[in-house]
Amino acid sequence: MNIVVAMKQIPDLQQVRIRNRQPVLDGVPMTFGSIDKNALETALQLKEAVGGNVIVISAGTEELEDTVKEALAAGADEAYLVLDDELEHIESSVSAHLLAELIKQIENIGIILFGEGSGDNYSGQVGPRIAEILGLPEVGYVCDIELEDSRVKVTRSLEDCEEVVRVSLPAVLTVMADINEPRIPSVTQILKAGKKPQQILEVEDIGFDLKGDKKIVTLSSLAPENKRKQITVKNGEELVDALLTEGVIRR
Amino acid sequence: MEFKLSKEQELIQRTAKEYAEKSIEPIVKQIEDENKVPDEVIEGLRELGLLCLPVEEKYGGAGAGFEGFVVGLEQLARVSGGVGIFVSVVMLGTSTIAVHGTEEQKEKYLTGTCKGSWIPSVAMTEPDGADPRMLKTTAKKDGDYFIVNGTKRFITNTNFAGPMVVFAKDADTGRINGYIVDKFCEGYSISEPWDKLGSKGAFLSDVYLKDVKVPASNMLGTPDEGFQTLKVTMAMGKIGLSAIYLGNILAAYDEAFNYSKDRIYLGKPISQFESVRNSIVDIAMKYEAAKLMTYRIGYLADNTANKAKLVKDSAMTKIFVTETAVDVSRIAMNVFGSYGLMKDYKMSRIYRDAIVGPQIEGTANLLKTVVATDMYK
Ligand SMILES: Cc1cc2nc3c(=O)[nH]c(=O)nc-3n(C[C@H](O)[C@H](O)[C@H](O)COP(=O)(O)OP(=O)(O)OC[C@H]3O[C@@H](n4cnc5c(N)ncnc54)[C@H](O)[C@@H]3O)c2cc1C
Repeated sequence: MNIVVAMKQIPDLQQVRIRNRQPVLDGVPMTFGSIDKNALETALQLKEAVGGNVIVISAGTEELEDTVKEALAAGADEAYLVLDDELEHIESSVSAHLLAELIKQIENIGIILFGEGSGDNYSGQVGPRIAEILGLPEVGYVCDIELEDSRVKVTRSLEDCEEVVRVSLPAVLTVMADINEPRIPSVTQILKAGKKPQQILEVEDIGFDLKGDKKIVTLSSLAPENKRKQITVKNGEELVDALLTEGVIRR
Repeated sequence: MEFKLSKEQELIQRTAKEYAEKSIEPIVKQIEDENKVPDEVIEGLRELGLLCLPVEEKYGGAGAGFEGFVVGLEQLARVSGGVGIFVSVVMLGTSTIAVHGTEEQKEKYLTGTCKGSWIPSVAMTEPDGADPRMLKTTAKKDGDYFIVNGTKRFITNTNFAGPMVVFAKDADTGRINGYIVDKFCEGYSISEPWDKLGSKGAFLSDVYLKDVKVPASNMLGTPDEGFQTLKVTMAMGKIGLSAIYLGNILAAYDEAFNYSKDRIYLGKPISQFESVRNSIVDIAMKYEAAKLMTYRIGYLADNTANKAKLVKDSAMTKIFVTETAVDVSRIAMNVFGSYGLMKDYKMSRIYRDAIVGPQIEGTANLLKTVVATDMYK
């Protein structure tokens, strides 16, 4: 069984600084989104439990060929990539289309894993979109997976309850950040990562026109400006009064 | 000229950083108080390939070369100077054996360290000093054995089983050679650990060798190669020290920079004071300079066939980086003020660690004479 994990290349958020409300990305190394790493860890644990092959898929700029070594070092067996420098800021529908084409190239797929949202935009759309394109069942917010022959028993973590569902394979699952703790890749594995097989496709190979009409253009994605009130208090009583007046606490 | 880590090196750096922050940082105080690197940390380092970074893969090492080694050790030592020295001495023992050992010695001692449970030591220093000319420890040929006698001072990792490369004088010829002694063999004993100011956690004691029987096959290199072995050990040790104290500088840099943004004085962070900003800039410049020298010595070690030739460059790097670490710690301490002196603050540990660097693996004064001799020859 092949276990496919979709991972998105993003700048290492720990090293991004904000200047004038814009991220400064110069010289920031690329990595994968943190929940994508949970998805990969899920795949590796499934492989360790029942065997199989873990294949990472990703679409991104040329740097991805290097970035993917991180997933291969952590234990993925191969990678299928679409590389094009035009793929820097693509909308979810385009990612879903490209990744779906990659998935079609892979045989004998059991599970296709995603993080519940990417590390940068966190739209959480690509997994469900791909399930739709490929006509596969999809389960979101997964916090536990148990394999049962040709099915999986999946626990979903919802706002105030957990839901347990069974789903037939192949299926698309999007996992939560707390499903596991991703392993730290060993140096030996890091040094072997570059030698693992990588299938690389160009956007044209897939018959996709990136220059075509963009349906969605992101104009701005800023957090609402948060004006601090800067109230000065002299003692505990004044603090309580201020908190009451501001409605932070109630009597 | 390329001033950039490869993707693999960037990942080694991240692995070391993540491991140090996740598994060492939370127990740094325990490591210092108990003066011991805990077994689970040693196992963790071994599993991740961080214990034997430059050792060849065929002996169970990571095969990351010395470039990988300096990049990884910097991150470990940033979190604990004691763990830094511990790992550096493992490298020193394995490298000395890797360069001058026979295939059998390498198979046994390198594999036993990288894959087994051994932790190597290297014993040069004696009560009279660290200068090889003052060596009093002797090795006397007796059939298929050498009988080794002497006292070694300030030796790291003596409490672990594994190989110890002991430098001794041949009782008959007076030539200096390295001999691999299995620690805890008959005649091997150690003192109580020294309680040092900084770099706590790396176990340090004296070693007493009393009629220790070393198989003749455990001599490193040929009898007349001893001086070369010594030079290799001297060079390798300095590469380790440079990486440790680069990590120490990075720690001081992080601490001072963050503190300057967090500490509020008269309603503003102290980073608003020009003097504080200048201090941070001084630290940043010194870190960059030390980093260039350290990464370069890693590169040279990977690209110099005769490692004995690295003595001068490694000495210059070690002097510069360890003295810079002391400077940087002092500047960083000034950014902190009194808080930095308090044991609850990481800065106090960084400062105590920094002071250690220039005094070990050859003092700066001694090493400058080594460099000068090479320059004026
Ligand atoms: C934490 C730690 C770990 C250590 N680990 C090890 C280890 O694993 N193995 C090992 O063998 N040793 C180890 N040592 C010992 C250490 O390397 C030596 O102590 C160090 O090299 C200094 O030697 P010394 O103490 O004999 O100083 P001394 O040689 O006594 O120096 C005293 C002073 O005289 C000066 N001086 C000495 N000789 C000269 C000269 N020729 N020219 C100019 N000035 C000179 C020195 O610069 C210094 O100022 C360790 C020490 C410490 C603290």
